[in-house]
Amino acid sequence: MVERKEIEHLGDLVKVDLREPEKYIKQVEQILNYFDNLDKVEFHSDDTLRTQVTSEGLRDDVHKPYGDSLIEHLKKDQNNFIRAPKMV
Amino acid sequence: MNLGISAVEFVAQAKDGAISVEEFVAKTLDRIKKVDEKIHAFITVDTQNALDKAKEIDKKIKSKDKVSSCFGMPISIKDNICTAGIKTTCASKMLEDFVAPYDATVTSRLKSEDAIIIGKANLDEFAMGSTTEFSYFGPTRNPWNPEYVPGGSSGGSGASVAALECLASLGSDTGGSVRSPASFCSVVGLKPTYGLISRYGLVSYANSIEQVGPIAKTVEDVAFLLNIVSGYDPHDNTTVHTGQVDYVKDLKSGIQGKKIGIISQMVGDGIDKEVASATNTAISKLQNLGAECIPISLDAVEHSVAAYYTIAAAEASSNLARYDNLRYGFDFNTEGYEFKAFVSKARSNFGPEVTRRMLLGAFVLSAGYYGKYYLKAQKVRTMIKAQLDGAFKKVDYLVSPTMPILPFKIGEKIDDPLKLYLTDINTVTANLSGIPAISVPFSMSSSGLPIGIQLFANSFKEKELLQAAHALQETTHLPEITL
Repeated sequence: MVERKEIEHLGDLVKVDLREPEKYIKQVEQILNYFDNLDKVEFHSDDTLRTQVTSEGLRDDVHKPYGDSLIEHLKKDQNNFIRAPKMV
Repeated sequence: MNLGISAVEFVAQAKDGAISVEEFVAKTLDRIKKVDEKIHAFITVDTQNALDKAKEIDKKIKSKDKVSSCFGMPISIKDNICTAGIKTTCASKMLEDFVAPYDATVTSRLKSEDAIIIGKANLDEFAMGSTTEFSYFGPTRNPWNPEYVPGGSSGGSGASVAALECLASLGSDTGGSVRSPASFCSVVGLKPTYGLISRYGLVSYANSIEQVGPIAKTVEDVAFLLNIVSGYDPHDNTTVHTGQVDYVKDLKSGIQGKKIGIISQMVGDGIDKEVASATNTAISKLQNLGAECIPISLDAVEHSVAAYYTIAAAEASSNLARYDNLRYGFDFNTEGYEFKAFVSKARSNFGPEVTRRMLLGAFVLSAGYYGKYYLKAQKVRTMIKAQLDGAFKKVDYLVSPTMPILPFKIGEKIDDPLKLYLTDINTVTANLSGIPAISVPFSMSSSGLPIGIQLFANSFKEKELLQAAHALQETTHLPEITL
């Protein structure tokens, strides 16, 4: 059973003000019940897919300055600071 | 001037001056004006830039200057792929006015080949959906019958090609989002091998399974586009060096002597009767072309939808954390807000499906449930890959209907997300395993709705996959759209 307080807790975790939490209760429960089918799978191995990448495959660790256009897109005040709400 | 020609035919005619690029693009824009009120395939149409670019290309053709391979071909791009100077909204209120400061690699490759980006195609918000009904800007409608869904999430891409509003399109495929609209709109759509096409500039939803994929009227057009957009990109470390492959060359090689596995789990119970019958006909035609078709059982497929939605939701909930209203979002004063309240208020503007998936993602990753859901989903994924590896030791290709059902009416399943998820049963296998799959338009139902057939091949075997798709396409005689 998924309850309202669980949905509200999940909303809190993903940082969304849920306007109508009850709208999601039944649907999330129904989908999770379907996901429970994963319990029926008989696994013969604990393996999960992994891909190895050698360090040669990574790009060179070279600083590339970003263009002004990236900065222009940020929402900032007249002093060029990004304004965030109070943290505490 | 016939807007129904293929992209490759357009290139040939534009090259030798038989058609004017400006005239073709202008006529395409007229067509968009005429039909898009009904279909709503586009979120943004870039009219002036398209016409200016077309004029420029005509001038170059006349003065015999070098023109690159697309010759001004009008292309739509799914609105979750970045285009510098044109909005990239992801069909979300969160990015309603977002203009990317750079081009995605696929966009810049198309532009450098003189393709014209005619507009940005509609999608389900952040590509989460199978019908394009979850767009903040309203649903796209199926050009074959506007009361029906076009598939999704690249529904705008599929519909724009089918409705002759462009010659080709780029979509993205996370769980079938290129192949579903290709099937429902009677066009060709390819989900390439993971790592074949750069994801740089594709707005992230589920990084480990999504790929950009071309949609066009013919298999040859898809091969043509793949030549342009595929290949290693230093901006995306998951792309692979495949060497120079020409997907158009030898496209007509046929499938004589090839072995094709019919996936038992995708042709059995639960599929629409007309879809089943079309699939049987397709199999007979493949046999007539000289292929040997045998049944192949992949029992992990039964768990693929649960595994797919667990993984996709988990990755979505992490990816979408970046929409904190500081880097993207709305202008409202931070005064009087504590950090979390400010972020949560802005994020309440996500639509219902995106919110649902974030909630699910947070749940399956949370302490106490990680092992029950996420880890098991990853193991199912490994099982699917192992079973496919086994299958491809016996056969060259696999076949199934792309969608188990016919297109359905808009609104019919929107309140039942699980029912919608289950329609992805035939497509998610390719995403979970990374292998390529293509949807080829094959027939029409008695009610005039399209049915597509899906072919799979082993990783990086796109060349062979396109050859089989071409062979199948050549057996079909499909009606022209009357919209």
